[in-house]
Amino acid sequence: MYIGKIVKSDSHINYVCQIYGPREVELEPNPTDYAFGRFVRIAVRSEQADDHDAQVILALGKSSEPRTYAIGVIYDTILLNPAFGSLGPRLSNETQVELFSPDYISEKAVLIYVMVLGMMEQRMIPASQPEILSTMHGVPLLSLELGSEIETMTDEEVQAFHYFSDPDDLEHEAYLHMGYIPHIIAQRNSLLPMVTLRIIDQLERLFPQNLSLLSIVKRNFAWKLKVETTG
Amino acid sequence: MLDSTISRPRFKPVGITKGPGENAHEYTFVSRDDEQVLKNGEYVYYELADPAEGGPPAPTRRVLGRIIKRVPLQLYPDTFLAEPEIAPAQVAAMVGYDARTNELFELHVAIMGYYDAPTNSFINPWIPPQSGKQIFLADDEMLAQILSRKRPGEPGSATVGSLLTRPPDAVPIVLSVKDVVSTHLAIIASTGAGKSYLASVLIEELMQAHNKACVLIIDPHGEYGTLDQIANFPQFAEQDDGRRGGYQAQVRVYKPEQVKVRISTLTMGDMRHLLPEMTEKQQYLLSRALRKVGENKRGTPWSVADLKLAIKSVSKQKGDDDSEGADDSSTVHALTWRIDQRFVDSFTFDDMQHLDLPEIFKPGQCTVLQLNEIDERDQQVVVATLLRRLNKARMETERGKVHSGEFYLPYPVFVLLEEAHHFAPAGTEVVSTAILKQVLAEGRKFGIGVGLISQRPGKLDADVLSQCQTQCIMRIVNEIDQKSVAAAIEGVGRDLLDNLPALSKGQVIIAGAGVNTPVICRVRQRVTKHGGESKDAPDMWQKYFSPEAQESRRRNDAPLNGNKGFNLMR
Repeated sequence: MYIGKIVKSDSHINYVCQIYGPREVELEPNPTDYAFGRFVRIAVRSEQADDHDAQVILALGKSSEPRTYAIGVIYDTILLNPAFGSLGPRLSNETQVELFSPDYISEKAVLIYVMVLGMMEQRMIPASQPEILSTMHGVPLLSLELGSEIETMTDEEVQAFHYFSDPDDLEHEAYLHMGYIPHIIAQRNSLLPMVTLRIIDQLERLFPQNLSLLSIVKRNFAWKLKVETTG
Repeated sequence: MLDSTISRPRFKPVGITKGPGENAHEYTFVSRDDEQVLKNGEYVYYELADPAEGGPPAPTRRVLGRIIKRVPLQLYPDTFLAEPEIAPAQVAAMVGYDARTNELFELHVAIMGYYDAPTNSFINPWIPPQSGKQIFLADDEMLAQILSRKRPGEPGSATVGSLLTRPPDAVPIVLSVKDVVSTHLAIIASTGAGKSYLASVLIEELMQAHNKACVLIIDPHGEYGTLDQIANFPQFAEQDDGRRGGYQAQVRVYKPEQVKVRISTLTMGDMRHLLPEMTEKQQYLLSRALRKVGENKRGTPWSVADLKLAIKSVSKQKGDDDSEGADDSSTVHALTWRIDQRFVDSFTFDDMQHLDLPEIFKPGQCTVLQLNEIDERDQQVVVATLLRRLNKARMETERGKVHSGEFYLPYPVFVLLEEAHHFAPAGTEVVSTAILKQVLAEGRKFGIGVGLISQRPGKLDADVLSQCQTQCIMRIVNEIDQKSVAAAIEGVGRDLLDNLPALSKGQVIIAGAGVNTPVICRVRQRVTKHGGESKDAPDMWQKYFSPEAQESRRRNDAPLNGNKGFNLMR
């Protein structure tokens, strides 16, 4: 489901998104949909999408054109309230504003910070799982556009993003990838190590066969984050 | 196609020079070493244009060096090694690192120098290579040419094995027999490391048609008896091709009962050694008697009876001349008794028989003296008398004093001495020490080469060990022994000695005059069967309880009176 749209970016991989508020979309996103450490995807605009028919087909979910997504993770949330601080009296209270001017856009918003972890190219196949064409972990080449919509990802999609075989080594078996870890660590943000732990927790649930492999990274992080910083 | 590129890495560099090493004449280079060829002890080279030699274009020298240390530069973090069933490469792959080329090494190289063929030596360039120079792995062909002075099968060559870091037989290690024999050899190893195996390989080489050597083995344990198979192998024969007569290597094994020392060849020193704790007076009488019997017989052999007569005669004369002196009769009696007890019906000492030099020393013949049933003191006297006679024979032949007879030996000889620490022990002087030292010091002039074999270099006289210019050192575990070897070996090979405890059976460090540079060598297979193997005790205990052995014991132990037929009382 779509949960919001990009309103700003801090860098090539850090985007600020505004969560859809009441009455903006039919299905208003729940706080669980934009929880900390959740995987999201943002479609990268393709050239064909300018065509009106293509847009219709796309909207109907019948397109078989390959679509490229940037995959990201939510690592911070900010509750924005421009009214905070202006403590003086108002002419009309909140209930009155809602009642008398419903078109008045609420200035309160929930902002989430998304860090882009990689790209995934897939093709929709009607009445079937989408076909994954390629997966890449790391910094994407293309930047995202303002206003691009953010979608939550299902468990299957998260699995597909993490479990693939190397593109240059096709006969090699698919295995678990977390190629974005180095660039998460390279960012200076106090929440990112925590988001890494959250990611590992999710992957442990999705890939029970790789528990011991994940535990190496998890223990390493937990030690650095919890023991070394406290000690 | 692929094979040819791997076996000829001459054109493909294996690394790039980083800079100078920890010590002078060392440098370091960095390599991924994908093919795992840069082992410790491996030989690498870089190319150096030498403007000092001749005009332009300057000749390119290949400066050879030996890898002495291998330091990994890129290791997995400890935390990646936390799960025993997960390979760290798998963790690295997960976080996006392509694990196929993760290793990187810094290799420390000791510069040996470039090979100078006319002098058979390595010339150090006295300057480490520039940073960024390409390093090549020395190929088999190049090493075969420069590590050994001789080519396999050449006259004067002894191919004892091949270079350890290369596949078997890729780089043969060939000793120069001329240098080994003229400047002596030492084989040192702890028990079970393959000393006598290596010695036998060396003997096999010496007995081949391209050497036809004259070898004597002093064998206190009777381990070399199996060498007599040499006479049956075609490798040790040469067909008569018209120009040269046919050749067949001969082996003569003297059993302990055949090893005899003629009493008349004993000196006063030998006597003192054989008859320990003689009183001053006994010694005085005996030395006079020895002088007298020698004068009377003038070079012909004398017997115990002659010696006893001489003792009597010198004592009588003494009594007559100086009537005030005490009576010698008790001393004479004691001395005669001791001589009788020591020499009459002796296993080793004989009035007439002894080892005839021209018989035991012949080119193309390997003589094994088995001393395994002889008392250690007597062994020392056997060796001392033999070396003394040999030394005299070679000296007099070389100086042209004799032209025939017992002391005429017109060819150099090589003597291999097993358990050498018995014959020249450290800290104490035995009867064979002096003559052994003399032979080692002067043998070069008179053509007597000595090979010492010992499992306890710490117990071997340090002077004796340091006289051996070619050293074959096998696995040594004892620290005292390691130190005494380190003191005796030439300086350039000392870094090799760190490998001593790591050597396996049949691997040997060869250093010194016989090779161009110290090498670690894998000893080749023997042609003849090996005789020095340890006993398989559990196997022999098992055999004791085999049905055949039990039956045979029962038959032997059966009481005779059990046989009623012979009971006459019945």
